[in-house]
Amino acid sequence: MLVRDYMTRHPMMGEPTMPIVEAQRYMWEHNLRHLPIVGDGKRLLGLVTRQTLLVDPGRLASLDVWEITSYLSGLTVKDVMVQAQDVISTSSDVTIEEAARTMVENRISCLPVIEAGVVVGIITETDMLCQLMELMATRAHGVRVTIQMPDVKGELAKLVSAISAQGWGILACGGVPAPKAPGKWETVVKIRNVSKDDIVAALSQIEGQEIIDVREM
Amino acid sequence: MHESHIQDNAQMGPSDGWIPLGKDPLQQPRDVPVLSVERLAVSYETRYGDVPAVRDVSFTVQRGEAYSIVGESGCGKSTVAFSIVSFLGRNGKIVDGHVLFQGRDLVGHSEEELRKLRGDRISMVYQDPMQALNPSLRIGEQLAEVLTVHRGIGQSEAEDRCIHMLEQVHMPDPANVMRRYPHQISGGQQQRVVIAMALLNDPALLIMDEPTTALDVTVEAAVLDLVAELQHKFDTAIMYISHNLGVVARVSDQVGVMYAGTMVERASVNDVYLRPSHPYTLGLMRCVPRLGMDKAASYLYPIRGRVPSPRNLPPGCIFEPRCDFARPVCRQKSPEMCEVEPEHWARCHFAAEILSGKLEPPQDAVPDLQALAERRASDETVLRVARAKTYYEAPSKQLIGGEKQYVKAVDDVSVEMKRGHTLGIVGESGCGKSTLVKTIIGLESPTGGEFEFMGMDISMPVSKRSLDLIKELQMVFQNPDATLNPSFSVGSQIGRPLRRFKAVPAHQVRDEVVRILDLMRLGENYYNRLPRQLSGGEKQRVGIARAIAGRPELVLCDEPVSALDVSVQAAVLNLLLEVQQEMGTTMAFIAHDLSVVRFFCDTIAVMYLGQIVEFGPAEAIYAPPYHPYTEALLSAVPIPDPRAAQKHIRLSGSVPSALHPPSGCRFHTRCPRRLLLPDGGQICTVEPPPWQRNTDEHRIFCHIPLDTLRQMDAVVTIQE
Repeated sequence: MLVRDYMTRHPMMGEPTMPIVEAQRYMWEHNLRHLPIVGDGKRLLGLVTRQTLLVDPGRLASLDVWEITSYLSGLTVKDVMVQAQDVISTSSDVTIEEAARTMVENRISCLPVIEAGVVVGIITETDMLCQLMELMATRAHGVRVTIQMPDVKGELAKLVSAISAQGWGILACGGVPAPKAPGKWETVVKIRNVSKDDIVAALSQIEGQEIIDVREM
Repeated sequence: MHESHIQDNAQMGPSDGWIPLGKDPLQQPRDVPVLSVERLAVSYETRYGDVPAVRDVSFTVQRGEAYSIVGESGCGKSTVAFSIVSFLGRNGKIVDGHVLFQGRDLVGHSEEELRKLRGDRISMVYQDPMQALNPSLRIGEQLAEVLTVHRGIGQSEAEDRCIHMLEQVHMPDPANVMRRYPHQISGGQQQRVVIAMALLNDPALLIMDEPTTALDVTVEAAVLDLVAELQHKFDTAIMYISHNLGVVARVSDQVGVMYAGTMVERASVNDVYLRPSHPYTLGLMRCVPRLGMDKAASYLYPIRGRVPSPRNLPPGCIFEPRCDFARPVCRQKSPEMCEVEPEHWARCHFAAEILSGKLEPPQDAVPDLQALAERRASDETVLRVARAKTYYEAPSKQLIGGEKQYVKAVDDVSVEMKRGHTLGIVGESGCGKSTLVKTIIGLESPTGGEFEFMGMDISMPVSKRSLDLIKELQMVFQNPDATLNPSFSVGSQIGRPLRRFKAVPAHQVRDEVVRILDLMRLGENYYNRLPRQLSGGEKQRVGIARAIAGRPELVLCDEPVSALDVSVQAAVLNLLLEVQQEMGTTMAFIAHDLSVVRFFCDTIAVMYLGQIVEFGPAEAIYAPPYHPYTEALLSAVPIPDPRAAQKHIRLSGSVPSALHPPSGCRFHTRCPRRLLLPDGGQICTVEPPPWQRNTDEHRIFCHIPLDTLRQMDAVVTIQE
């Protein structure tokens, strides 16, 4: 689960001399939210996002209609892009959670993936969500059950042995500290080829653990 | 817990409950095709006005997909590729349509803009690796240049990256290869270097124009494996251009079939091969021999006529003059590309009828091959070659004196040919198959061995042979361009052997030539034509006509159909069969295409490094027990059927030098089956193997016991 497995290789890219009108149309037509700007040899020169394409209304207010036209038509990507030194990027052998952390801390929605100054891919929020989706085996049918358990060593083992005692297989499993109950831990398990009732029957027997959500999906 | 998770996923195939990622709006950016060609038209400016080389070609290549364009020579497939990289030459121009690369139009931009726009995101690999490499620069320098010049990477880091890339293309000893010149490595390795060079830029699209056509089947198989592996590793979309239906079936996901400058059918590889809906595609599938077909049980249907010149296209459907289903409407109205079923497009008025089987191709053309079989009942031996040796002297490396060295091109080969039979000789290039044939015909003088032809000794060069002997032994060469004299008319070239051998009285020569031309399906109007006025297939027919004019007993064919397109190849093979039937000629047939050999020959000899390793009837060669080398050849041969599953056997290394052939069994350095013998096949390195007889006619030159060889599975299986 590294960036290289989830990034989009060969992203669509632009060059600095591209007129801003064309960049905007290109991004709009293909529903792109980020456009890395590269020079020769795919070296990263900057990044264009939808925000960078917004023109400051204050600036336009001081211009008359004819000036606005010439001002806009003369703009190129180079004039508005985030310069390469300000672009926060990552490399392909970083773990996916590390990349997610970089994005959360900087409140940005994409990271160009760079190797030796060259763009090899891009990873975006969508890729992260895709990864979350896959991690929880969203595309497979099964029963998803959430169990609240004390934050004590050995609790997960109890749950897993209860499941394996029934001969069931675990499709996906994840855990987080319970958001609203300090000292507790919430574990989500997805099991297939079983009914909701069987699971409730089997797992409600575990001492100290509580089923807080069961759904078939 | 972790383990059970993995196990569960492994048990659960995509069909087993996983919902595929749909056209989720969030996934949109991934769905923009890497390449989208829309109604492309390309013309070349000539003295006679613009020649439309490509018209109305549309297709899309998705991310990470392998798209093949298949068609015969001159159909415009390379022009399509060149128009994508704007490499059309000074007189070529895109006259209509769009080429969208990652959603941006490449048409109508200046060179400089294009260079920026495309950047290093499209790479191309050409047919001949030696033309893509600079012979005067070391491989390391050429590779590193890509990185140092385009990307400004430092020399030493660039070299490290190049070595890493050479490892990715499975180049043995990459650090050493970096220091060599292109001519110091083999053809397959050169092609690997070219592929590595193309991938150094990490392109989104890799265009490969006939990348394996110049390579041997075993090398070709390894290169195709490599391409498939790299495609997944680098997530690169591949556009593959080939005339070889077998190669296309092996590598592609989607196929576009081109004919006379336009695309006539496009669909997934399975649909194109198994459910063709355009008459041309149907014709192509019917004219290639599939592995396992033989001449007694099946027939190749050639496509009649020839490809129209782009300057002189028929008014209606371009395929109408050659089409078996043509109706009046085809002559009047040119069909549009229409979707016969989802994702399956064809350019034919009757595509739906063909697909549903309402229109069947005619079967009546099958000639009666029974007569041929009866005539062939003769058991008389025409040619006997025993322990033949042909050595070439190689200069010794010392300045003065030194021992003479010999390239043992043919070493201890014995074959027999019966009257009216066809012997096929197969093997990689450099295995000595051509030398053997040239020695028999007298173009090379033998170093040793017995050569007996109808009781006469023929171990002398052709200049010492009597005219009668020369008349009985004739040859058809691979390249018809090189064998016909460009300044003599067809009639005089065919007439020459007739006059020289006095086969017919002088005043009847012309009539006889016309008769032979008719037999060749050429007709009298070809009598006065010059070779340059003929197509490739017609030239080869003249070559055959000249060889058979004197009614020889034995015709030696050295790759007679390799230079020809498949539809023409079928016609030439049929012709050779008819000649054989008509005249009862004995034939030796060299080819590297194992399907063709299986189809055409009665007996097959498999050669490796100057020796025959397996000899027997055609059907016995293609079924277990195999010689390990035959097995490897069969597993490498590209089969024009996407359902075919082959055992994966790839020979490591290249063919050893014939100057110093390996001791013991010559194949032991590359043999994948040696380990079946006790103590790792030590015996193979020391002792030459014995001839083991499977049946009276089928013998195998190997140490491995026949019982072990018999237990192996068949190499090729077709999944229904």
